[in-house]
Amino acid sequence: MIRDIAPVQIAPTRIDWPMLAQRWRVPLLAVGLAALPWIVPSQALAVNILIFGLYATGFNLLFGFTGMLSFGHAAFFGAGAYGTGIALARFGIGWFGAIGTGIAVASALALLIGALSIRSRGIYFSMVTLALAQLIYYIALQATGWTGGENGLRGLTVLTLHIGPLTLNFLDPTVKYYVILAFVVAALWAVSRLLNAPFGAAIEAIRENEGRAAACGYDVKRIKLVAFVLSGSICGLAGALNALHLSIVPIDSLSYQTSGLAVIMVLLGGAGTFFGPFIGAAIFLLIEDVFSLWTVHWQLFAGMVFILAVLFLPHGVWGTLVSWRKGREP
Amino acid sequence: MSATPVLAAEGIGKRFGGFTALDDVNVAFERGRLTAIIGPNGAGKSTFFSLLSGAVAPTEGHIHFEGVDVAGEPQHRFARMGIARSYQITNLFPQLSVHENVRLACQAMHAPARRSLWRDRTRYTGLADEADAALAQVGLASRRKRLAASLAHGEQRALEIAVALASRPKLLLLDEPTAGMSPEETKEMMALIGRLAAERTVLLVEHKMKMVMGLADRIVVLHQGKLLASGTPDEIRADAAVRRVYLGEGRSGRG
Amino acid sequence: MSFDLIMAQLFAGVALGAVFVLLSTGLSVIFGMLGVVNFAHGAFFMVGAYAGVFILALTGNFWIALAAVPLLVGAMGLAVERFLVRPLYGRGSDYPLLLTFGLGYVLVEVVRILFGSDGMPFETPELLTGGIDIEGLGYFQTYRLFVIGMTGLLMLCLWLLLERTRYGLIIRAASRDPEIVAVLGVDVRRVFLLVFGLGTGLAALAGLLAAPMRTVNPEMGVTVLIEAFVVTVIGGMGSLLGGAIAGMLVGIVVSLTALFMPEMSTISMFALMALVLLVRPYGLFGRGVLAR
Repeated sequence: MIRDIAPVQIAPTRIDWPMLAQRWRVPLLAVGLAALPWIVPSQALAVNILIFGLYATGFNLLFGFTGMLSFGHAAFFGAGAYGTGIALARFGIGWFGAIGTGIAVASALALLIGALSIRSRGIYFSMVTLALAQLIYYIALQATGWTGGENGLRGLTVLTLHIGPLTLNFLDPTVKYYVILAFVVAALWAVSRLLNAPFGAAIEAIRENEGRAAACGYDVKRIKLVAFVLSGSICGLAGALNALHLSIVPIDSLSYQTSGLAVIMVLLGGAGTFFGPFIGAAIFLLIEDVFSLWTVHWQLFAGMVFILAVLFLPHGVWGTLVSWRKGREP
Repeated sequence: MSATPVLAAEGIGKRFGGFTALDDVNVAFERGRLTAIIGPNGAGKSTFFSLLSGAVAPTEGHIHFEGVDVAGEPQHRFARMGIARSYQITNLFPQLSVHENVRLACQAMHAPARRSLWRDRTRYTGLADEADAALAQVGLASRRKRLAASLAHGEQRALEIAVALASRPKLLLLDEPTAGMSPEETKEMMALIGRLAAERTVLLVEHKMKMVMGLADRIVVLHQGKLLASGTPDEIRADAAVRRVYLGEGRSGRG
Repeated sequence: MSFDLIMAQLFAGVALGAVFVLLSTGLSVIFGMLGVVNFAHGAFFMVGAYAGVFILALTGNFWIALAAVPLLVGAMGLAVERFLVRPLYGRGSDYPLLLTFGLGYVLVEVVRILFGSDGMPFETPELLTGGIDIEGLGYFQTYRLFVIGMTGLLMLCLWLLLERTRYGLIIRAASRDPEIVAVLGVDVRRVFLLVFGLGTGLAALAGLLAAPMRTVNPEMGVTVLIEAFVVTVIGGMGSLLGGAIAGMLVGIVVSLTALFMPEMSTISMFALMALVLLVRPYGLFGRGVLAR
């Protein structure tokens, strides 16, 4: 797997682009995302790339950096969305507090599911996370009083945002985009800090060789659980933002397909890289955008692109670029 | 024996289902000495090593490290208390740099760094320096930026030791450090082990008996999961039971 | 609650369990041999049901469908192993898993294109309609009895194949240590190929047998995949006996909760799984080593 986080020594004679990109990765990505509405065909697509890129980033923290392939991250995306939605629609909590509620609910759920699933490893872990997420899906489907069941949760439209003296019209798509962007960039900054911290080194050690990491003195189970919860809370934030964006929470937020979405996006973009999840999200959503104009069966193309990526581009688009660039170095 | 034991195994045993890999072994390892553990294939050396390093919990008995019973504790506790090991089959972080492999081991022993989720890892400059020192000790300073996976076999063996050394262990467990090495590399490795043993307690599993005899202060012989003999190299050479197992009856070898 | 009703639910549970047993056996055989978790397993189940619909419409004969479906879908499995999964051996267990996950998407869309997105009814074959009334025990639907019987027969055949034939010997040896078997001159790649075909064939047969008991639609595979995972996690990956026992257990638990607490019926199997995981993280008959 490819990473772009290991600090690279500065060569005195030439500009070290990978190192610059690594040091400035959060501002770089922030600028790229800020320009996104003018690059992609529609503003709706740009918002989706923003939200699902963040969702994939949260998933990537666990899959790409810690080496744990979860197939149940929809649980945290959905928990964030429902937590936010229920706080808004049922308790009348303000939008900011509602996002906080969503993250808290997602984190608590991640702690619960994580504690149960990290007892198993490898493909067992994948199956257990998938099954537990499905349990959450069925619970939400049954608890119609809270979640609206099959019809989704409605009645959480946020019209205006009050930030100090400022009053923003959240119905204005541009305002909405940049408010969501602010949250996404804050989360990316936090993820970047985590990866640069000793914690980031420790999860990479676990990905590379769990047994040796334990022999070195790392409490592998605990670190895995922390990574699981952090990953879940980032996905929870993505879900919370999606709830605000859509003004409803569809039951599909918790579905197997949503879990799979994170897997697809991260693999297409490049697992274990910082930019990969957003690139993967952009590729997937563009495929959806373009092909769904021609045919309702656009998932056929998405599935085939995914299979081709697994076969021929296992490091994803960005990951392959990074390793190609590294391979050319002396 | 005036020295206090660093590590003492008291009646430890390990059963896998119906199979007894190790049975009722009692040995004490004294501070500052280099002890070699030898025995024919299947004698239980590896199992014994796994028990002492905490990778596997014993089914019977106690392990006392500096007077504390540590049997059954998780492996990371063993490491943090000061027991580090290298592996017979190279066991590194393959896609990380040589320097990062060692730095990770330093970081694990440094409690504030280990717990930090937020501070940049490069700010812990002490850890990077420590890692460089450990690399210099095993002669890998020039390889620090390479990926561990790209090293030659002998270099990977040396990196194994550097990773173990990096946690500044009170007790260093080396599992066949010369496995698969050329005679030249073996000689270098033995010299390195000699230097390391001057400063700390070392336990060494080794196949090549001749080499061990010249290097070790004490020797422990395992046979069929049981302790056969322990003592100085001379005592082991003279031991009738060891001669029977190792040299075969009637043959009078010189070790 | 009358005794008859409980008996009837118990019987329905055993029939449901029989389908779970077939499903988890297919999954387990492939995993035990190739170390691959087949995420397209549910999709092959669904394809099996649709292949049944198609052949039945073509020939009007259920028995021809019963013979042809596993062969047809099994052949598909052979092609998938040969051209898609084989290039991924040695790249870690995540890649085949991801590939079959993508394949699941493709299969669902292809079926949607060919047969439409709506559900289809699948008539119970005429010979197997009706039921048997046993005095004092209750009324047993013939088709369910047939499914239970078929499953028992298939499991017996599979057991004989694995334990009593030369092929079985090779398969069991190869799942323990592929290298040794290769050294002994057996073409391991062909064994892998055939086992993958066998696993997908079993999934398709399960799909066909289950078709009259539930509606046939393109999405049925997802539910089924997750059910198969739950059964396999409970039983223990790679253990045929574990899968069989867990399959029956889950089938009965689901049916009985449907009777006593209908709102909990979809949740019960997951609760059971969580309970088992707390006590035995690698399932009732599983060994941790397999999952590494």
